[in-house]
Amino acid sequence: MKKLARAFALTMTCALALPAFAQDKPVAGEVKEGSLKGKTLTFVSYGGIYQDGQAAALQEFVEKSGATLLNDGPTEIAKLKAQVDSGNVTWDVVDTADLPPYVHCGTLFQKLDFSKLDVSKIPPGQVGECSVPAMNYGVVLMYKNDTYKDNPPKNWQDFFDTEKFPGVRAIDGSGDPTGSLLEQAFKAAGGDPKAMTTDDIEKAIQKLRDLGPDTIYWKTGAESQQLAESGEADMIMMWTGRAMTAVKNGAQYTPVWQDWLVVMDQITIPVGVKDTDASYALINAYLGKRSQEILTEKTSYTPINTDAKPQVDEVTTSFLTSTPERIAQGYQQNIPFWVKNFDLAAEQWSALLSGN
Amino acid sequence: MTATPDQGLPTGLAGAGQPAFLSRFRLRGAVWLAVPAVLVLLVALAYPLAIVVLRSFTDPAPGLDNYVWFFQSAVNRAVLQRTFVVAAWVTVVSLICAYPYAYAMTIVGKNLRLALILCVLVPFWLSGVVRTLAWVILLQDSGVINSFLRGVGLPPVKLIRTLPGVVIGMTQVLLPFMILPIYTVMKGIDTRLLQAARSLGAKPWRAFVQIYMPLSLPGVYAGCIIVFILSLGFYITPALLGGPRSILLSSLVQNQVLSLLNWGRGGAMGVVLLVATFVLLAIAAPLMRQKHSATRREA
Repeated sequence: MKKLARAFALTMTCALALPAFAQDKPVAGEVKEGSLKGKTLTFVSYGGIYQDGQAAALQEFVEKSGATLLNDGPTEIAKLKAQVDSGNVTWDVVDTADLPPYVHCGTLFQKLDFSKLDVSKIPPGQVGECSVPAMNYGVVLMYKNDTYKDNPPKNWQDFFDTEKFPGVRAIDGSGDPTGSLLEQAFKAAGGDPKAMTTDDIEKAIQKLRDLGPDTIYWKTGAESQQLAESGEADMIMMWTGRAMTAVKNGAQYTPVWQDWLVVMDQITIPVGVKDTDASYALINAYLGKRSQEILTEKTSYTPINTDAKPQVDEVTTSFLTSTPERIAQGYQQNIPFWVKNFDLAAEQWSALLSGN
Repeated sequence: MTATPDQGLPTGLAGAGQPAFLSRFRLRGAVWLAVPAVLVLLVALAYPLAIVVLRSFTDPAPGLDNYVWFFQSAVNRAVLQRTFVVAAWVTVVSLICAYPYAYAMTIVGKNLRLALILCVLVPFWLSGVVRTLAWVILLQDSGVINSFLRGVGLPPVKLIRTLPGVVIGMTQVLLPFMILPIYTVMKGIDTRLLQAARSLGAKPWRAFVQIYMPLSLPGVYAGCIIVFILSLGFYITPALLGGPRSILLSSLVQNQVLSLLNWGRGGAMGVVLLVATFVLLAIAAPLMRQKHSATRREA
């Protein structure tokens, strides 16, 4: 009788355990109650309303898992390299720009184990070997209504055409070169971006140089917004978040959506973190529907969970990049090409930005 | 060093007629007073600097590659030169603004002097970024200055994203470093010397140029050196007020270190800037000393 009972108990345990095993396949947004009690995770991003929004998106994860979440930043790849080199990695999950996870995949950033993440709701083509997207946004061409009136620029070709569209241009000079802009510049120079070679980078940079000495290279997102609100430039290359805020603040500019440049920000796990599974758990929660809705409601950036239905106002909605129409108009850079030529492009970009 | 051990001790203990061993002891004691500062300098300056120098010769491979790269690049050479030119301009403009200001501080009444000192010190309490952003608002094409010019019917001037714009912004940030050393020296000048010169028949202007100015030169030199060296490392102001044609070397270093992770190259750039600064100072120092002692003799 005892034996039978034991066998029965064993069977029941297995039967109960089976669904539990099945549940081990992660679901975006879900985290086991109390699974990270007593653990501390450091999340690193770019500060400001963006990181506040990310922290808000992770609030439920913190409450459920029992983990303590520390926010640090801003993300600097040099700091991360110092941590990895010295073997003392204190950053558990890091939000980075688009290219670094591809350039340093396997050396600074872990190759991801996708059995520990649910990436099924991420828009197609955005998951890398070492990263998942952090959010989506775009880079748009904003033109000043007064300057162009009935004959506004319609795409990046017009941006590079100073004869038909005279006026001061402002370009993102905040850091690394934007590959997709260089591809558009190369196209304007008569080339085919799809067949771009290493030598063509110089041609693309030359096209930017040809815009003339009046061209403004803004250093921060805030500066680009200030340029729009004060009307300093006639065409501005802007992040959608900043463009939206400028419009809300009364800037008389209009976005051009044809070939808007797709940008994401990436979520990564550094090489050498103390508790990799905890990092995975955080990212998996971050990818959830509700987390992404909160992120968008707090920051106005586009969610990267296709089920997310954030409640936002009209202007914000008009700047979201996840509608079918916007997805069709977007322009995605050739990531492998820019990863391969990162140093060369950065070198020439730096020369352009130092007036040479 | 001009500091004597007595300066660190209560006056009652100082004085002549003490046994020799005591003063020796005090001298040794005085050395200990410098220990905290020396420790901080070793840990926070010497050690990191040594690593920067080391890396510039070893990262990514041992040898002079980083320096060869630096001098082969036309961009680097042009920006290095520009960095020194801008620093020189900032020094000259600061001096022109600071000298009369410091002089005014020495001759006005007590309350006005307090107000003038306050004007110098207030900028120290504000972050450089805030002040630089204020300059953006003043200098930009649609800014305060150009709105005024347009208002009175004058053509607008291009100030922001130009070298003069950067020099204006940097001068304002660095002005206190010029005013304070000059003022300190001027305060110590015995004005009876001027009266003496006047009584011997010198016109006021001549007494000022021949007596007062030479005596104030140590302050001028100190101010110039501080402002010049601080200018060389400026980063935020040129980045915000300048355009591509006014980027200084620190921005290129930042790019190498933070974005390209070429720490060896970044280190080499820093070392080149440091050595160039030392060379310039080594050339300037004897000139100053010579000129100074010459004017002393004349005076």
